[in-house]
Parts: sequence; structure tokens; C-alpha cells
Amino acid sequence: MTSEFEQTLEQFGWLIGEVAVLRSAAFELRHRDDQSRGGEELERFTADAADQIARFDDARNYRPLKTAPNLRHGWRIVCTSAADAEAAVEQLYPGRLAALRAWQRDELSTTALRQTLNRQTGMYRIASRVTDAALNELVGRFCRSDGGCLRTILWKRDGSGAAPSTLLPEAKFNPAYDQTNHGERAVPLLCQEACNLLVAAARAVAKGE
Amino acid sequence: MENAGLLIVGHGSTVNADSSAPTWAHMRQIRRSGAFAEVQCAFWKEEPSLRDALLFFRGGTVRDVYVVPNFISEGYFTQTVIPREIELTGAVTERPGGQIWKYCEPVGSNERVTDLLLKRAREVAPGINPAETTLVIVAHGTELNDNSAVAAKREVQKIRERGLFAAVLNAYMEEPPLIADWAQLTSTPHVVVVPFFISDGLHSYEDIPVLLGMSQHVADGVFRQNPHQLHGRSLYYARAIGTEPEFANLIVEQALAFDAAHKLQSVA
Repeated sequence: MTSEFEQTLEQFGWLIGEVAVLRSAAFELRHRDDQSRGGEELERFTADAADQIARFDDARNYRPLKTAPNLRHGWRIVCTSAADAEAAVEQLYPGRLAALRAWQRDELSTTALRQTLNRQTGMYRIASRVTDAALNELVGRFCRSDGGCLRTILWKRDGSGAAPSTLLPEAKFNPAYDQTNHGERAVPLLCQEACNLLVAAARAVAKGE
Repeated sequence: MENAGLLIVGHGSTVNADSSAPTWAHMRQIRRSGAFAEVQCAFWKEEPSLRDALLFFRGGTVRDVYVVPNFISEGYFTQTVIPREIELTGAVTERPGGQIWKYCEPVGSNERVTDLLLKRAREVAPGINPAETTLVIVAHGTELNDNSAVAAKREVQKIRERGLFAAVLNAYMEEPPLIADWAQLTSTPHVVVVPFFISDGLHSYEDIPVLLGMSQHVADGVFRQNPHQLHGRSLYYARAIGTEPEFANLIVEQALAFDAAHKLQSVA
């Protein structure tokens, strides 16, 4: 029986973010850029150790945002089953498969950025003071797929339904678009709500940092 | 717990790569045990986020979800941030579909934390005479609405009552008694220092070693070079208590304890 994970790959494509899922006897995950490299050139990992790959970029810098377009190269995860491969993807892109499934079932509720900011307490409470103009600039810079984040944004700026940033292309909000800009069929990394990193960045803007 | 889910909630960090590692490790260990139908983790400052956690446990088989904070103590995060972000209305929250989310005590509240502190002390300083040893439990101190100092004091009192060591002391990074004053606070030839933190990170790798007087040691090396000869004493320095693999079992016990405390029938 085909697993839900395989059905997802069949439907959207055997690519997710910067990861390629190769299907041979079992499943193998690699960086998209490493698909044609010989297996012996790549460091072998188990699915359980996938979080070690996600943790650092090529320069060994910590990656606080796992959907940033800086996944390290030079590895392969050899998986024993579809469940194993799914567990590895969940560590490379935490929470994204759950978001996709909720979206497919039409159960993914999104939260407007203003709502997220207004909910904050403690040190992040000040983030709600950011102006719309500053948010427009911040989101345009912070969330851009080339250098920021590979997620497809589904949330709005506020209750008016305004786009989060006029500086982002239409494609940034389109789940059918390959955010790596390679124009291939890929599983979208859906973003239903602004992440804590964006909230923290909004706080910094509000504080004039 | 075959129809139950477990959500382990950690703080996470945007700068420290080691912050979430123990939570992930505990999650994998509990998954392998098969004790729950589904085991997930979520973080305040990492992914999956606390908001992402609202999307977990939707496979249809999970009736109850136990939420266990992987935190040392109750405080701002367990009382304000976690309930707000995952939309908990109290100890028991019923979701629209009828699923029940049970908000458990943080893992640091588990009674067996005391045993793990002692285990860690024994492992880091094997074969030394406890009658010639001071055990120092070091916590942060002076954080916003943070009860970790209270929890650390409780643990020290419990260990002291067992009468195993010559002395058992609390020390803090930012409030007296300061860990930086350890040589004045102790008088035994051996001193064992155990950080009362959920994960290793800048505090345990760098800040505390510097406060202890180690100038050359950073990162992993600090744990491998025990004992450190400082101020004419042998100082043994342990990893953060939350990195102990047994913490995974404590997390499970927090879930089991919820039903006992709330006199609810487990779905198992």
C-alpha cells in the first residue's frame, strides 16, 4: 500500500525545499544539488540523525530557520522505509508536512501577521508597534525566497486581507511555485503563520535596532 | 497509551545549536518505545513551532494529547507562553473535534530529578569519597518570573537530607551565592558541579566554566578534562542535567502522573 508520504510526493513532485527524494530499492534523501553525485562522495546519515544535517549550513553556522535556503550539501540519508524517509523530512523541515496535510484537507487556518504580533507578551509585546510601512519592508526582506526563507506564505498582513509585503512577488504566495526558483514540481513548504524569528525581527525594528 | 499523543515542548534557541538537541533525542527515544501512538516536539524559538503543534495529532487515532514542558520549572513560559501559543484553556482543553489536550507539569517537577542529579554526580566523579566532596547545583537565577532557582533549592534540600555528601549547595550565575565564589563557598578537597539546565549551551559550555575559573576550556573539552585542578581542589564539572537520557522516561512519567493527579481515566 502506498503511504500518505509517497502519495504526497507523487502528487507534488519528489522534491521538497532543497531536498530531493530518490526512489530506488528504498528511499534516499539528498540535497537537490547533489542528485547526480556518486553516493560514495556523500556522507551517509540515518534518518534519526537528519537533525544534525538541518542544524548547520555549509560553513558550519547554526541555522535557526530550517526553511532558509542554506541547507548544507554533501550528505545522503539512506532510509529503510517511507516512514523512515518521512521522519527524516520532518527533521529537515519540521512541521511542514503537517501543515501541508492540513491544507490538503482544507483545515489549515492561517493567522494574520498583526494578530500574531498583537498576541505577544513580555519582551515581544513591543513588536506590535511596528508600522505597516516598516512591516512591508521587513517581510519583503526577511521572508524573500532568495536568501530568506523558502516557505510559501499563506497569511495576510492584517484583517483587511492586505498582502504581507508588496515587495514580494506573487509567486511567494503560490503553493504551486517552486520557491527555489528552479521551476520544478516540488512539495510546497507552507507557512500558515509568521515564525518567532520574524516576530523577533519585528521587535528589533520597533525598538529601532 | 495506544490512543494517546505526546507533545514535548522545549524553549529552543535562535543562536544556540545545542538548545533543542536533548528534546529531539528524548522524542526519538520515546517514539522508539512505542508508548504513544504519536510523539512530537515543538519549540518557542525553533521549528516545529508551538503554533505548528496545533497541526499535529490529526491522524484520527489520537484521542488524548499529553503536553509536557521540557522545562526545569514552572514559570513565564509554562504559565503564559505555552498555553497562549497552543491555545490551552486550562489543565484540560477540549478541541473542536473532541480531542482532549492535557497540560502536564514540567519535567523538572518530577521527583526522580533528584536521583538523576545524584547519578550525574557519581558518573562525573567516579570513585571519590562523598564525605570529602561538596556537590554544587548551579542554576541561572534572576530571570523573569522564573522559578528555576526555587526548584534548584528544593533539589539541594532533598539531596542534603540523604546525607551522602559533606555538603550540598546551591549557586547561581547572577545572584548570590554566586558560582564564581565556589572556592570560598566550599571547603572540601573535591567539588562536583552539576548545571541545573535543560540543555547544554553557552551557559554550560562557556559562562559557567569561566565563572569557575577555567580559562582555556570551551565547548566539549570542558567535560572531558575532569577533574580540573583549581584553587588546590579537584573540581568535577558535569553536563546539564537535561541531557541525561533518563529524562525521556521522566517526560513519560509526567504524562502518566497527569491522569493520576486529575483522577482521569487514561485512554490506554
